[in-house]
Amino acid sequence: MSPDAAVAARVAARVAVAFGGPSPEHDVSILTGLQAARELLRDGRDVTGLYWSKSGVFHKVSATLEAADFLEGVPRGAEELRLVLGDGAGFVPAASRLGRAPRPIELDVVVNCCHGGPGEDGSLQGTLDLAGVDYTGPSMSGAALGMDKLAFAGVVAAAGIPVLPRAPLDPATREIGFPGPYIVKPRFGGSSIGVEVVEDLPTATARLAANPHLRSGAVIEPFRTDLFDLNVAVRAWPEIELSAIERPLRSQGSAEILGYSDKYVGGEGMASAPRELPASIPDALAKAIRDSAREIAVRCEVRGVARIDFLSDGETLYVNEINTVPGSLARYLWVDPALSFADLLDAMITEAIECPTPPHNAVGADGSVLRSAGGIASKLG
Amino acid sequence: MQFQMQIAVTQHGGTVGWAVGGACIFATALGGLRWLRVAQREHYLPDSASRFALRWWGTAALNQMGVVLALAGLVLASRWPGVAFAPAAVVAFGPLGLGLRGTTSPLRWTRRLRTLAAVWATIQVAVVLVGVFTGFAAVICAAGALAVPAIVDASCVVTAPLETRLADRYVKRARARLEKVKPKVVAITGSFGKTSTKGYVAHLLSGSAVVVASPASFNNRAGLAKAVNEHLGPGTDVFVAEMGTYGAGEIAELCSWMTPDVAVITAIGPVHLERFRDEQKIVDAKAEILVDAGCCVLVVDDPRLAQLAERAERGGKRVWRVSGQSSSSADVSVAETPEGLEVLVRGEPVARGLSLNARPGNVACAVAVALELGVPATEVAARLSNLPAVAHRLEPRAASRGFLVLDDTYNSNPAGARAALAELARATPDGGRRVVVTPGMVELGARQAKENELFAGEAAEISAQLVVVRRTNRRALVKGFIGAGHRAGTVPVLQRSREAAVRWVAEHLGPGDAVLYENDLPDHYP
Repeated sequence: MSPDAAVAARVAARVAVAFGGPSPEHDVSILTGLQAARELLRDGRDVTGLYWSKSGVFHKVSATLEAADFLEGVPRGAEELRLVLGDGAGFVPAASRLGRAPRPIELDVVVNCCHGGPGEDGSLQGTLDLAGVDYTGPSMSGAALGMDKLAFAGVVAAAGIPVLPRAPLDPATREIGFPGPYIVKPRFGGSSIGVEVVEDLPTATARLAANPHLRSGAVIEPFRTDLFDLNVAVRAWPEIELSAIERPLRSQGSAEILGYSDKYVGGEGMASAPRELPASIPDALAKAIRDSAREIAVRCEVRGVARIDFLSDGETLYVNEINTVPGSLARYLWVDPALSFADLLDAMITEAIECPTPPHNAVGADGSVLRSAGGIASKLG
Repeated sequence: MQFQMQIAVTQHGGTVGWAVGGACIFATALGGLRWLRVAQREHYLPDSASRFALRWWGTAALNQMGVVLALAGLVLASRWPGVAFAPAAVVAFGPLGLGLRGTTSPLRWTRRLRTLAAVWATIQVAVVLVGVFTGFAAVICAAGALAVPAIVDASCVVTAPLETRLADRYVKRARARLEKVKPKVVAITGSFGKTSTKGYVAHLLSGSAVVVASPASFNNRAGLAKAVNEHLGPGTDVFVAEMGTYGAGEIAELCSWMTPDVAVITAIGPVHLERFRDEQKIVDAKAEILVDAGCCVLVVDDPRLAQLAERAERGGKRVWRVSGQSSSSADVSVAETPEGLEVLVRGEPVARGLSLNARPGNVACAVAVALELGVPATEVAARLSNLPAVAHRLEPRAASRGFLVLDDTYNSNPAGARAALAELARATPDGGRRVVVTPGMVELGARQAKENELFAGEAAEISAQLVVVRRTNRRALVKGFIGAGHRAGTVPVLQRSREAAVRWVAEHLGPGDAVLYENDLPDHYP
């Protein structure tokens, strides 16, 4: 694409902001999505809301809705859509007009604001890949890796970057290579929902049965009260770039870990949570964070914008997790270098158009295998 | 309209005919906005607009005069068409007090309202045409304007089958969704306490199951279908459904596609008596929830629910008898003690000294449901300590001017109102003044006047100053208050709106005083 054509395509792109979804972070995602949609509208773009209900149904909604419009579920005036694969793939109105088969709604890029569940775990990405719809944010594999706390820690550790010991936990686990107290987390989960602090291993395995969020897998780590959180946002387009480093603050007298309500309840989502930004930390620590974040961005295929969360005691640094679709798209972290939300979104959309996730192909399936094959029955024989 | 106007002009000649016709149509349109809103607020029940019209036109003296004027005008209009301006004006501006769009509950142009409005407008136009072709245009147009509430109601009747068919689609989908996700269904009904109990059940279960609870206002067929279709995500273990009812057969229909595993009846009281006529019919309608349920949770403090428990047990169901008092025979009892709530399960204490602002009976129901669904007693006890507060249900808070405010504006039943008075008596500091602000209770049918009288009398007995809001129950409240012979010899304060009453309270109360806001009425009530 020539540069001029690229600019034209980017500005004229019809954008659909996807948010919600069958995820514990459905509500937070609505806030992120509405913020992004509003910013894109203000930027003069052609924007549609793509609301994904808790029960998994897509809807076309106005980009100007407010959070309160979603209090009782699907907002008024929403048009039901189906995500269709194959011929005529895309988001297709569910209701046919005048008996004619409906055509997919016109859109060029989906701005993915779905947190915590499908949308941050690769499943929505995989479906959009199959439907041939371009989207912002992580690819299927990047999202899936970021969502798997065990795999992510393995990739980070393999790069020589320190992580806290992290082990899989299942009901049969009898031994852990490090002493308690422990923190038990869902292996696949985007937030602090379902996280528990326990004294010993028997309590931890007992919680596996009781806590519904740990059912599909859990990891266990040492629980260290001496550590505090440090976060940094990273984007890979047009080149790898890091935001200022934040130190989130826990609400006074609250729980032992930074909870869901600290992050999200009582405001505009992540953007209004209490924090120290930029964090006043030693230069060496800041440098370690920056170096690690760059390395992780490459190894974990960061696309769009991601937030990498670290833990530290002030000197030593541990990587905790990566959020590949962070709350409020981590817009509030870009104070130094200053980056407006509009510019952040603009870059994400450009990346989605100019550098789409790799299309599937059937190169190599040239029939030679089929030609040389005998009967299926003889192969089974 | 142009066509009709032409004919009206030729019939009556000149500008009078034009003007009368125009005025009547204008008045009809304004009346339509008013009464369509009332129908919407009253769940499109087919007698709602007429019932409220009788209430409104019958309450204030000015409105009563308006009715006389309008009827006189209607009679005389057959002789002098110009007199039809009188009924038109009355319909256009009255009843005084009933807003066009409403503030507490504005008119919302939903798909359903648009359908209703279209049917209504068609009937009104037909009425005008009849007038024009029979040669009594002025009289019939004016009569049409006066009959707006009745025609709105008729439109509700006409559209009802269509609405049922539309809802069928959503119900079908909800049924399929329930079959696919297969959650356990906890169904909760009761004359009061449904919403609180639902919240408690969800809270007690949420540590050990993925729980989805129906949103508060989604307690009928269409609402529950919507709740399932939009909120029931894959992997949901338990769906907690609040089921409301206005008549026999409604809950049975809900249970036919949303079969409860556990059914709960929280309480029976004289709520919606206007539609049920007598309390036994309420019991029967609520009992429909038990029919297909494998397990029943019943508050046996009410002998009628104790009877249902017997019957369910004979029918081979698992039954949890729960009590909101200290009871040794109940499976779960929750009682108020000086230290706080005490929870006993089969006589064994599970939790003690809980400082919760919750009705014991509701807590007992929730505990039984949690235990039935396998939550360990220790976890129930742990979760009880931070039960979510239910907004506006006897919620105490301190006003900026130092007096205590008890907010019980979501309550609308006599038992709850009595409990609130007791709480006011208890919570007011020594020597402090007590004030009760209330529009009274509604939907109590033939008992409404009596219940409000009793309530006002009981307010007088705890030496509270009564502030009566709006006109709906003014007469009964004043009568009960004065009849009880207030010690201080005061008379009730009358206020036109809640806002005015709040201002009165702010002006008259100070540190050490306490005010109870009991019930609130949306602004389509007089």
